[in-house]
Amino acid sequence: MQLRIEDISKAWGGNTVLDRVSFSAGASDFVCLLGPSGCGKTTLLRIVAGLTEPDSGRVELGGKDITRVPARERGMGIVFQSYSLFPDLTAAANVGYPMRLRGASASTIATRSTELLAKVGLGGFGGRFPDELSGGQQQRVALARALAAEPALLLLDEPLSALDPAIRTQLRGEIRSLQRSLGIPTIMVTHDQDEALALADTIVCMKAGRIEQIGAPRDLYERPASRFVADFIGHANLLPTAFVREVMPGFLERRPPGADATWELCLRPEDIVLDADPRGDAVVSDMTFLGNLARAGIVWRGQRLIAELHGRSTLTPGEAVAVDAIRGAWVCT
Amino acid sequence: MGVYVSTLAAPHSTTHTRSLAWLLLAVPCAGLLVFFVNPLFTVAWRSLTDASGAFTLGNYARLLDDPGLPRAALHSIETGLVTTFATIVFGLGIAMALHRSRLPGKALIRATLLLPMLAPSLVLGLGLVLLLGRNGLVHRLTGLPTDIYGFPGLVIANTLYGLPQVVLIVSAALARTPARHYDAAASMGATPWRQFIDVTLPRLRFALLAAAFLVFTETLTDFGSAVIVGGNYRVLAMEIYSEVVGQLDFAMGATLGMVLLLPALLSVWLSRLAKRRQDSGDAMPGRALAPARHIGRDVVLALVSLFALLPILAVVGTVAYVSFVKLWPYQQVLTLANYTGMTEGFGPVWTSLSMSFMAAVAGTLLVFALCAGLRKAPPPLVRAVQFMASLPAAVPGMVIGLGYVIAFNHGPWSGWMHGSLLIIAACSLYHYHAQAFLTMQTGMRQVPDALEDAVAAFGGGTREVLRDAVLPFTAPAAISTFFYLFMRSMATLSGVIFLVTADTGLASVTVMRLDENGFLAQAAAYAMCVVVAGALALGAMRLLLHILKERRHVA
Repeated sequence: MQLRIEDISKAWGGNTVLDRVSFSAGASDFVCLLGPSGCGKTTLLRIVAGLTEPDSGRVELGGKDITRVPARERGMGIVFQSYSLFPDLTAAANVGYPMRLRGASASTIATRSTELLAKVGLGGFGGRFPDELSGGQQQRVALARALAAEPALLLLDEPLSALDPAIRTQLRGEIRSLQRSLGIPTIMVTHDQDEALALADTIVCMKAGRIEQIGAPRDLYERPASRFVADFIGHANLLPTAFVREVMPGFLERRPPGADATWELCLRPEDIVLDADPRGDAVVSDMTFLGNLARAGIVWRGQRLIAELHGRSTLTPGEAVAVDAIRGAWVCT
Repeated sequence: MGVYVSTLAAPHSTTHTRSLAWLLLAVPCAGLLVFFVNPLFTVAWRSLTDASGAFTLGNYARLLDDPGLPRAALHSIETGLVTTFATIVFGLGIAMALHRSRLPGKALIRATLLLPMLAPSLVLGLGLVLLLGRNGLVHRLTGLPTDIYGFPGLVIANTLYGLPQVVLIVSAALARTPARHYDAAASMGATPWRQFIDVTLPRLRFALLAAAFLVFTETLTDFGSAVIVGGNYRVLAMEIYSEVVGQLDFAMGATLGMVLLLPALLSVWLSRLAKRRQDSGDAMPGRALAPARHIGRDVVLALVSLFALLPILAVVGTVAYVSFVKLWPYQQVLTLANYTGMTEGFGPVWTSLSMSFMAAVAGTLLVFALCAGLRKAPPPLVRAVQFMASLPAAVPGMVIGLGYVIAFNHGPWSGWMHGSLLIIAACSLYHYHAQAFLTMQTGMRQVPDALEDAVAAFGGGTREVLRDAVLPFTAPAAISTFFYLFMRSMATLSGVIFLVTADTGLASVTVMRLDENGFLAQAAAYAMCVVVAGALALGAMRLLLHILKERRHVA
């Protein structure tokens, strides 16, 4: 089902949290709302869920205006960061809860709970209480519960943030394949760029209540629209126009028009090529060994850059190098 | 996927759930306005009007004309100050014995401290009279000329009554100080005494201050021990009682009530300020403290504890003993006659039990609804309601009771309110509203917001949110609130003293009347009924909380 968000604004006590935000998500899309804390992404998710009312704007689901429809009539599945399971109900009863509210028969609930728990890899755990499950298992139960009422939309509010890194990566993969196999449109809030890059079909990158850029993960990484997006997703070497004109004039051809201060060139660390060259005008300042790759800090005519070198590198601090870049994107400041 | 959604209707209508959410807040607030704010204003207004209902400051001027009243105020204040000092010193000692010593028998100390919570100041006063009065047990055994009436009796009774509360507050603060601070001090060479001065005391400042304000207010407004052991040493509470019951001078009673209200309000306000500044302890509690071996410290703390706790046992024990004596103090034959042949039968005890039950049921429901309703209310409204719901802590029971008499016994509702058990239950409930509200609010804070949102997102309305998300987390607080209100209502005297009629004799009031008429053994028997009912209630509460903890998987 298609979700459309139009011109949503929200303020808490005179403090603007969302400022005319619009985007839409297709029938089986996985959309990530990505941004630093306080950017309004959770408020936006809560508005989609119906848990918070927007000050203005529209929320449409399947062509129907649901802006003023309360949460409980929207039919959405939701998973929170933590503490959202009923502590006094078993895992199976937790999963069955949305169906029970909708008056399903006990046998239907039992069959479907078992089926859903098996789907999230917890077959046989139905009789356990939340305090007898690990954090990762609890989130699986929460996920199964969110899917129980055949939701029109699945909403995930930082579902992995409270988990250990190893579990986080594993569960991330499982969420992705489950979502693919069910074809259910999903919106996830996260502040973790790796998570967004790995999971999303579309990333909505937000900053201070506004959308900075919407696009596929690759687009956001390779063609960031702004200095903020370039910096927030991956590492960015941002070079002023004047510096580029001096050292890499070739990039100026594709520079959009505008004053020097309005555009910067973004070079990703892996796009920088370093050659050991005694006549080079850059100097290696530090090297960090990272196993399969090495990170080199260099100073190039007074400008500090970070480059990533794959394979075995023989560069040492103090060595002179020549610098080139194979790809770059202009971002507005 | 979406097909199912359109066929599955949401369970309840939105209007239904909105009106329920609104009722949750409206009903308890209306209760507070009618049964607390209204009587309070009635007292204030009565103190500012003359017989014809015109505004006057004459009542306050009359206070100064009567030489007895300033003296009573002075008595109240000196009793309050000395009691506060004694209670803080001994309370701190006992709390240290519990948390910073290696003394054996800590369970015994805790059990003894429960007694003053079950035995109201009235019972402690009665015990003191029976033990150290002119014809008391000590006099009869030793022939010493004992006389406990007046200042010493009041100070002892109120100190014993205040001890458990001080120990509770100080213990909470002691438990918040993690071991690593002591490890750090010791590694820098601090002696145990220096550690007490430099680590322990600074972290107790605000707890001690809050405890001191509490004890001072309670002593100032206490009626139970004043009426029993006060004797000719008149305090303000006794003066109000005489004006209202003796001379039917409601205007003077109300004026004196306002005089009593002001220091109580001030004290509660100051303790609020102190609490706000209290450091909430360390975010990471860390390793629990295991006190080091130190014989001198343990001996001192043991002596302090014994000195404070033995009188409690002696006083309550004496009441228990005398309740089995045939004709105190002349015929010391043991008998059950005081229980089987009670002058008014068990009637007053049953009346007290049913009144307390009403207050506890209604109070728990109202306070639960209020706290649940406040969860989603706008912040300015929350602050206003919180203030109103906590204000009863600063209002002496006698002032509320007097307000009830003036507001309900003569107003348009007097027909069915006068002398009814309901009105006494209401008075009791709103007298102890603040603590009940605090307990429930603390319980409410345990409810995770995410769980509430989850219920709403899955199709639940206000009713389902309360049942499935709120109740599992607040059940322990609800149980505690219920038994707190029940136990307090059983023991209360000051709030209800003006409201009882011949038909509604309560156990605590009967104790007072029998004591006034010299039937001390029967008074002791009724007093023991109150204590035993309280003990049973406390036992039931602990059992229920334990079962709940075992059965439910709520942390």
